[in-house]
Amino acid sequence: MLQTAFLAALCVFICLGGNWLWGQTMIERPLVVGTIMGLIMGDMRTGILIGASLEAIFMGAVDIGGALSAEPVTATVLATTFAITLGVNTKAALALAVPIGVFAAFILMFMKNVVMNIFAPLVDKVASDDNSKGLTRLHFGMWFLNYFIFSLVTFFAVLAGARPVQQLVAKIPANLMAGLAATGGLLPAVGFAILMRMLWSKQLSPYYFLGFILAAYMNLPSVAVAAVGIIIVVIQWIRDKQIMDIENKQKEMVAMPHNENQTKSTETAAEQEEEDFFS
Amino acid sequence: MKLTKDVSPTDKKIINRIFWRSFTVFASRVGATKAHAPGFMYSIMPALDEYYKNDKEGHRKAMMRHTTWYNITQNVGTFVMGLVASMEKKTAQDPHFDPETTVAIKTSLMGPLSGIGDSIFWGVLRVIAAGVGISLASQGSILGPLLFLIIYNVPSILTRYYLTYMGFTLGDTFIQNMYESGSMKLLNKAASTLGLMMIGCMTATMVQFKSKLSIPITGGKPILIQTYLDQLWKGLVPLLVTLGCYWLLSKKVNVNWILLGVLVLAIILGLIGVV
Repeated sequence: MLQTAFLAALCVFICLGGNWLWGQTMIERPLVVGTIMGLIMGDMRTGILIGASLEAIFMGAVDIGGALSAEPVTATVLATTFAITLGVNTKAALALAVPIGVFAAFILMFMKNVVMNIFAPLVDKVASDDNSKGLTRLHFGMWFLNYFIFSLVTFFAVLAGARPVQQLVAKIPANLMAGLAATGGLLPAVGFAILMRMLWSKQLSPYYFLGFILAAYMNLPSVAVAAVGIIIVVIQWIRDKQIMDIENKQKEMVAMPHNENQTKSTETAAEQEEEDFFS
Repeated sequence: MKLTKDVSPTDKKIINRIFWRSFTVFASRVGATKAHAPGFMYSIMPALDEYYKNDKEGHRKAMMRHTTWYNITQNVGTFVMGLVASMEKKTAQDPHFDPETTVAIKTSLMGPLSGIGDSIFWGVLRVIAAGVGISLASQGSILGPLLFLIIYNVPSILTRYYLTYMGFTLGDTFIQNMYESGSMKLLNKAASTLGLMMIGCMTATMVQFKSKLSIPITGGKPILIQTYLDQLWKGLVPLLVTLGCYWLLSKKVNVNWILLGVLVLAIILGLIGVV
């Protein structure tokens, strides 16, 4: 179990730390973490499947400006570890992932926003000493410290949690299990709601339902929905651009003091309105 | 691309180094007060080292200037890095140029750039990439995670690269012009439209609910409630739950409570035998 705990912690360090060390390349997402963890534990297929389900559940869990609702790496690593090494039912592992993710996010935010504050005076110091080597060391030193400490959470969670989790899962009655399984199905809703919060406007809301219908009733795969979306966006863009150009031209003409031009511009405006009405 | 052609070889070298260093910008996070300032300083260091080569005091002052709070979606933040590099060059060469302008412009661009960057990269590109990735991965295929990484990273790294050059060459008026000409509005609208469609699609495919409730009929097959729900509107429960969560979020309910609420709701439904 010591070895499993070490590997799980290493996976958190590589995926989460690596993601933030180099370009937020999304290696922290459950799809990737699940695959890597599955590979380490010797059952890649299970890892990929868990990753796919958790990706949907944690779709809305992204670290935007240091605010995070759930931390997907710890959740995915623990869920995959439990499912592969303890033989926990996949649906139950998924359900366990959610509270773990929320708890882990709390710890990570505390680390990043509160604990790491102790280094703020040091940043000022290396700057006023004109010490660019010191800055480099500080920058990467903070990175290592933060993610090393955070990986320890997973290490101890696997060490301490394996036995209780196994016992717990064995005792869960069938209807509670069904409920836990249902959480996995319904939880992606929260993530999507968070994303919708960012993009929603009354004017654009029909597109949400269009996407829904294309997938639910037409059974289009997501690539096809994206393609339809791109076509719509291009049409919309061309049209809006035309309208904008006309508006800009009108503004220019109105701004000109010449009488002749003014009458012309009101005329074109009227014409344009008529055209818009009939189009 | 034309952008990279009008830059002198020395500047080009600097910009390329900023581009590579920018990948590490979020490695450290110095609490809520400075956020990613060290990463920003580390990224623009090649520019400072070159332009203040013979001016130690200028170099020191430039470093101190940039210890302030920094946070921009990292794939578009390179625009500001390029811009700051060009402004530091100006500061080093022209004694009348007020260096505080650099900080002011940097700070004023953070909000707008993050807004558009977050919605394009987090809201749209990642969602599309994940949509493709999940559908392949849920059949157990390794192509799922691979395609996910490729679809997300190729456009975002290209953006990161060209924006570094654009920031350096186009300067601070560029974003303002984009706002004034309305291009920014169009870009935002396009990003939101595509994002909403993808989320609609994912609501239909990934939020799942299946009731096993049935009404027994004497001498016939029992009636399954789920069949009726499907006939009424396919994916009715997932859609309502998603819209409900959205409504709660827009009422400023904390997301953790909503997560917990959904968790409890699903478990209760399980306990009473609905699912």
